[in-house]
Amino acid sequence: MIEFSNFSCSFNNKYILKDIDLQIKDHIVILGSNGSGKSTMVKSVCNLVSYEGKILLDSKNLTEYEQKELAKKVVYIPTKLEIHDEFITVGEFVLLGRFPHKKSFFDYSKDDYEIVYKNLEFLNLTHLKNQPIKSLSSGEQQLIQIAQALTQQTKTIVFDEPTANLDPKNTLLISSHIKELKKSHNILVITHDLEFASSLNMDAVFVKNGSINLYKNNIDFKTLVQEYD
Amino acid sequence: MTKIFLWLFLTVLFIASPFFGAVSLDVNEVFQSTSLHSDIFYSLRLPRLFFGFFAGIILALSGLLFQTLFRNPLMTPYTLGISSGAVLGAGIAIKLGLIGVVFGLSLVSIFGFVGAILTVFLLLYLSQFLKSSHHESLLLLGIALSLFYTSLLMVVFYLGDTIQNDMLLRFTMGSLSIIGWQSPILFALISIVLVFSIYLYRYELELLNVSEETSKLKGLNTKKTTILLLVISSFSIGFLVSVSGPIGFIGLVVPHIVTKLYPTTLRNRIFKTAIFGGLFLVACDTVTRVIQTQSELPIGIITALIGGPFFIYLIISRSKGV
Repeated sequence: MIEFSNFSCSFNNKYILKDIDLQIKDHIVILGSNGSGKSTMVKSVCNLVSYEGKILLDSKNLTEYEQKELAKKVVYIPTKLEIHDEFITVGEFVLLGRFPHKKSFFDYSKDDYEIVYKNLEFLNLTHLKNQPIKSLSSGEQQLIQIAQALTQQTKTIVFDEPTANLDPKNTLLISSHIKELKKSHNILVITHDLEFASSLNMDAVFVKNGSINLYKNNIDFKTLVQEYD
Repeated sequence: MTKIFLWLFLTVLFIASPFFGAVSLDVNEVFQSTSLHSDIFYSLRLPRLFFGFFAGIILALSGLLFQTLFRNPLMTPYTLGISSGAVLGAGIAIKLGLIGVVFGLSLVSIFGFVGAILTVFLLLYLSQFLKSSHHESLLLLGIALSLFYTSLLMVVFYLGDTIQNDMLLRFTMGSLSIIGWQSPILFALISIVLVFSIYLYRYELELLNVSEETSKLKGLNTKKTTILLLVISSFSIGFLVSVSGPIGFIGLVVPHIVTKLYPTTLRNRIFKTAIFGGLFLVACDTVTRVIQTQSELPIGIITALIGGPFFIYLIISRSKGV
């Protein structure tokens, strides 16, 4: 469970979100226009940006978590994979998901590799195992990030605009994967794709003008459009 | 095939290297313990061979480390002004006439070392004011520092007398010319520490080479790891430059060649980069001794002659590629 209390964050010295209170029990889709602060809100859960107020993750203050401990609880999947390493292969990249579970200074274990193979197979990616990531399409890269997230074995997975760079076919694929993952994980999805959002059947939060508006129980597409305007 | 040929060529050059120089050594005489050739071989050529080898390891690995930590192929201790800091330190010592020896190290070396380390801390301090993702600004900062040091060095030159200036000029050109086994042993130990630290942090470095965000998301304390590795490598470089003078571009050229030869993830390139760096610097050093002038050509000149055009090539290919 993630609890925001008195949460505020700023960009260029201007508050974009102020005094937010929100409890996320299982799944939620966060909607809002560009620059509304929805991304910053979830990035702060992974300690990627600074914020004011308090965030509790499983009833423990986020500031009390070691970075490694946090990486075992939450994983964040960015919209676009930024990767400097030109040669790292799909297999090696997915293996990085085991980093928080690995003993410092030691090699990855046989179990670690097996978890990687299992997840690659689950997402039908095994044939890409030895390909450099940089050579893949954005749809494939998105799937590989999901494979890495699953390999990290966290309870919560955060998707930041997962469909922003995808064609309709891949969007459907990602949507069906997310629905599948809802059974085993807590899912947070940020998006401004309303059709995609309503296909996920989740509670929704609108971030607008620095505050939020919560909709329970699988909001339908029509209400989404009205709220968005 | 090219790979095998290249390794073989460098290895043969490594073995043959001690026989080249101002005095060409005769193999038979080298093994007669009383001959002059034997003396040159064991107390000049062999120590120099190993000093060059370990210096190459330190330069190449530091280059690899800087490029990985900052995710920028142009980052090296040389381009960041750390070498220039050492030269300025040494220059000041020479100007002040400090030619004594403390703990087996000359005061010139100690001042050089302090110059290098102070530069690292200055860079770390200044980098706080940069946006963390903008490593290009750090590179510019390094270049600005280098230029500033060069002008200070000019002041030292201006104030110095002919003998001091000649000493300083030779130091700025870089040299592997040493006597005895003290330096090779010291730098063998430093190389081992450096190789071992980088090997211990191979998976952390692999993560950092992907991106800073990914590193954090996988639970790495990026700041702590970066500073730790930077300090270890800067101490190695500081020690080296204080003895050899600045030897530029090895840290830039070698990691790049090894990456071209072995396009794999970082952790598979650590040892190859180290060994290639060692052999490559020895090869450059052999060239300086084969080209006979009045005295031998300083090594820093050869590496700069190779590295300068290479630096330009890297900048151009980078702006084309990305």
